[in-house]
Amino acid sequence: MADNYQVLEELGSGSFGVVYKAIEKSTGEMVAIKHIDLEGGDDDIREIQQEIALLSTCASPFVTQYKTSFVRGVKLWIVMEYLGGGSCLDLLKPGPFTEAQIAIIMRELLLGLDYLHQTGKIHRDIKAANVLLSNKGKVKIADFGVAAQLTNIKSQRMTFVGTPFWMAPEVIQEAGYDFKADIWSLGITAMEMANGEPPNASTHPMKVLFLIPKQPAPRLDANRFSKEFRDFVAQCLIKDPDRRATAEELLRHRFIQRAGKVEALRELIERRQQFDAREEREAYPKYYEETLQDITPTEEKEEWVFDTIKPATIAPTRHTSKRRKLTRIPSNDWDTTPENLMERLDLNDTPLGTMSLAPNMSNIRKVRNTPDRRRSSGANTAIRTPSGATPTARRVPSSATPTARRVPSSQTPTSRRVSGQATKQPLGLDMSFGNGTSTTRLFRRVSAEKENSPIAADQASPSPSRKPSTASSLLHDTTNHAPHALSQPPNSSTPSAHPQDFAGTVTRITKEALLGRRSYAKAIEPALQETYAATATARKREALAAVAHAWSVLDRVDPEGELLLLKAVVERCKGEPKLAVALGLTLPVKNAPVPVLAPSADYSATEQESQTSTPTSSPTKQKLVLAQNNPHLKSHRRRQSAFVGPTGGMGGEERSDGVEEARMPGQGVVPGLEHVSTLADVLYGRWVEGLRGGGAVRSGVLDGASLLVYFALMRGGLARLETSMLALDGEKLS
Amino acid sequence: MQKLLLEEKPSPRVEEDLARNLAQMKTTLQGTPEIEVSPEQVYQLVNLLLQEDLLFLLAKDMHRLPFEARKDTQVIFSNAFRYKHPGNNAAEPLALHHIISNRPEIIIALCNGYERRESAMPCGGVLREALKHDAIAALILYDEPGAPRDLQAIDPSVPSSGEGVFWKFFEWIDKGAFEVSADAFNTFREILTRHKQIVATYLQTNFDTFFTKYNTVLVQSESYVTKRQSIKLLGEILLDRANYNVMTAYVDSGEHLKIIMKLLLDDRRMINYEGFHVFKVFVANPNKSAAVRRILVNNRARLLRFLPTFLDDRTEDDQFTDEKSFLIRQIELLPSSNPISPAQ
Repeated sequence: MADNYQVLEELGSGSFGVVYKAIEKSTGEMVAIKHIDLEGGDDDIREIQQEIALLSTCASPFVTQYKTSFVRGVKLWIVMEYLGGGSCLDLLKPGPFTEAQIAIIMRELLLGLDYLHQTGKIHRDIKAANVLLSNKGKVKIADFGVAAQLTNIKSQRMTFVGTPFWMAPEVIQEAGYDFKADIWSLGITAMEMANGEPPNASTHPMKVLFLIPKQPAPRLDANRFSKEFRDFVAQCLIKDPDRRATAEELLRHRFIQRAGKVEALRELIERRQQFDAREEREAYPKYYEETLQDITPTEEKEEWVFDTIKPATIAPTRHTSKRRKLTRIPSNDWDTTPENLMERLDLNDTPLGTMSLAPNMSNIRKVRNTPDRRRSSGANTAIRTPSGATPTARRVPSSATPTARRVPSSQTPTSRRVSGQATKQPLGLDMSFGNGTSTTRLFRRVSAEKENSPIAADQASPSPSRKPSTASSLLHDTTNHAPHALSQPPNSSTPSAHPQDFAGTVTRITKEALLGRRSYAKAIEPALQETYAATATARKREALAAVAHAWSVLDRVDPEGELLLLKAVVERCKGEPKLAVALGLTLPVKNAPVPVLAPSADYSATEQESQTSTPTSSPTKQKLVLAQNNPHLKSHRRRQSAFVGPTGGMGGEERSDGVEEARMPGQGVVPGLEHVSTLADVLYGRWVEGLRGGGAVRSGVLDGASLLVYFALMRGGLARLETSMLALDGEKLS
Repeated sequence: MQKLLLEEKPSPRVEEDLARNLAQMKTTLQGTPEIEVSPEQVYQLVNLLLQEDLLFLLAKDMHRLPFEARKDTQVIFSNAFRYKHPGNNAAEPLALHHIISNRPEIIIALCNGYERRESAMPCGGVLREALKHDAIAALILYDEPGAPRDLQAIDPSVPSSGEGVFWKFFEWIDKGAFEVSADAFNTFREILTRHKQIVATYLQTNFDTFFTKYNTVLVQSESYVTKRQSIKLLGEILLDRANYNVMTAYVDSGEHLKIIMKLLLDDRRMINYEGFHVFKVFVANPNKSAAVRRILVNNRARLLRFLPTFLDDRTEDDQFTDEKSFLIRQIELLPSSNPISPAQ
């Protein structure tokens, strides 16, 4: 089915995936194709299916038309009608809309909502960002990520979904809501279009959740807007849903009745184009590129032996058991010919073995990758080799090419792969997020920071951290060149900077990588989420989102480098007295956010640490009611219910036995004989619940924003906030 | 009441009338936010639908209806299937009772709606509504080509020919547009998980036919979604207490274990993950069959090398981590394999 589509440039991306413009070959029609990576998370495929089921039952000129969907590799392609005008949020960037324009948009939206409501659907996330315009100015409702289908015309929903600023009070209060919730959101959207942002936009989204039910409904400024418009908004924004108008009634409102033709909206599209031109937001299209492999390569291939033992199948060396310590740190004399200094990393060498020469780094990579053909192909696209084989924008001048020297890994666990990071440029030009301009600025800033700090860090850090700092001086050096490189035409970088390349990147599972992942999961991501939630302005949010995305890419691609980066940042902050004080880093040991790496390469040590220290979320009394199938909620619940005691790691067998025991439903297990207890006991008590958790999946999906709210809640950020509104019981749902 | 025009060659005129009639029927059965339904009218309409055999016509020709009319028809079916006449104490609602005793073809026709993209979703929705009743699940499971089955006459110990409508689901799941195959899978899951006793009996009788087909068509499907979903469902079926006998038979088979162990080596992580949850059943079984035991023993060293790093970035998934260490412990307790094995 995919062959019927010629995929063109990227239209946008979000948490859901990437949207591309494409041509349907059989009809020549332009379409938009959303690619959703199904391997991305544990999310039940049924959630996505629900969105599609809903979409496929919509056929209205006021709703973006679903065409088809199919699975290709691990990606789901959803084919939709193409709307060239962009979203109303985009169109708002040059400035607010006029009343006349808003009236037209509102009429079209009401027609769309009327259609949805008549057929028993609630959109639940009406906002400017979800309103798309065609090139001719036609208005369509989009994004059914959180929409709900009511089986019965009178039934109500209890699920907490939407985006805080646009949420109706009854949705927040979870008193049960129906179609009227969309009307409230529509009213907020009208205000958003008139003012450029929704009411309370500068307030913390969490706080908004309390304000909406508490405050009087927002109104338009009487001095700036006509009576009709103000009345229209007032009809939408009635706090009591029973008294709030329906879509049908609002269609008869004077403000709507006198609205003009949709063609008038073309000026919005033109205005945006002019705005883009003025801002020199040169749109460099990002073209779709088929990845060689849509799948993440695994480590070395293990093979099972199913017949009697065939020695031949076992003969090849197992690389998994022996992790290669690929350690590259910059040599002090890196200004001499780098190639000569490059040392081959031989798996079979002892850590202190003799060095041998390799022609260049790309060869090293190849050596590493040969065991698995597939992986090497993935790596070739993903890793920018400094040899110049791949044309990348940030190709590092040869004088800065890092040398690779093997160092006994136990001494320098932290410096691993720093140079790889620099050449791979995970921080660099990733065209996959945001718009070119913002990312560029972002990374220039990063490099500037690096320039200022190395000296201080060098002085401050004792021997273990000396290497990371020299390592980052290399980083500093390479990033120095970034501005030049970035000023090159981005085209040259696009082929290799495509996000899908990262899927093919080799991630090595090392201790550092695990810690890197951990730092991301435990510190970076929640911190970003929290900051994001606390940020009001769209511009700032966008910038933050770009950072979040970039970091998630880094986490995926190079968790080791991630850890190193973190460490380097922390070191620098510690070295800078004012920063250290401001960040509370004056007691370096206690506050170091990154666990000190044990020099031992023993795997179980890390494993154990990561297990025993898994924090159960701080017990907050209030609960936010979420869609039951929210994966985060599930794991959260599991954590709370499953943690009976300290869990043993791989090595701590006695303790892990204790846990097994504690979880057995058939209590009378004889100690030491747990493993012989009946299968039913083992299975039913411990697993059935978890396994079948997905069986009772309810409808209702959380969108990114409500997830943020959830995160904020779970991270204890709530302490500052009032609690009464959300002291609701999760069980209400079931 | 409405007199439905019999479907023939659809002219726009007929389609329009038909759509209007269906929309009206829907309103009668469902009401609107403003208008309450009249129980008397509903009763009359349901009776009429049954007398005139309209449900069968609608089910059979769902794909020929206009877009909105298909959705209306789905609502009509669902409401008719829910309608219980007050004072009637039968286990099933009126319409379903009629279907079970007189007109099982309606259910079969609804299943066959998966043949076409137009009819798949509305038919699927109706089927899942009907599947709330175990008799409907039995009708689908025990369907055989030819004459419709009388539920009373079914002997659950007679193996299925593998030709009935239930077996077509395997094909529907593994082909076509995503929404069709995914919907077919949902119905399939509903059939296999909702009415545990019926399914347990059925699976025991048809163990080989079912799992052979399940493994070849679904678990080893080319389609990522089919594969992943069916491995997950397999785990659900096996871990259902009602299917205890099915599970023990399943985990006795070395062939099954081989298929599942291959999933652990798949290069897609979620396939690994879902496969793990079936694999664990084999390992946790205290009474392993000789075949299963041999495979595990032969691969003991490999497994002990493989498992510690298996999906080890699932640091947040405590259940998984615990289960993994449990499995490692279980495998450690196995005797070392043949000393010839050069486990390096």
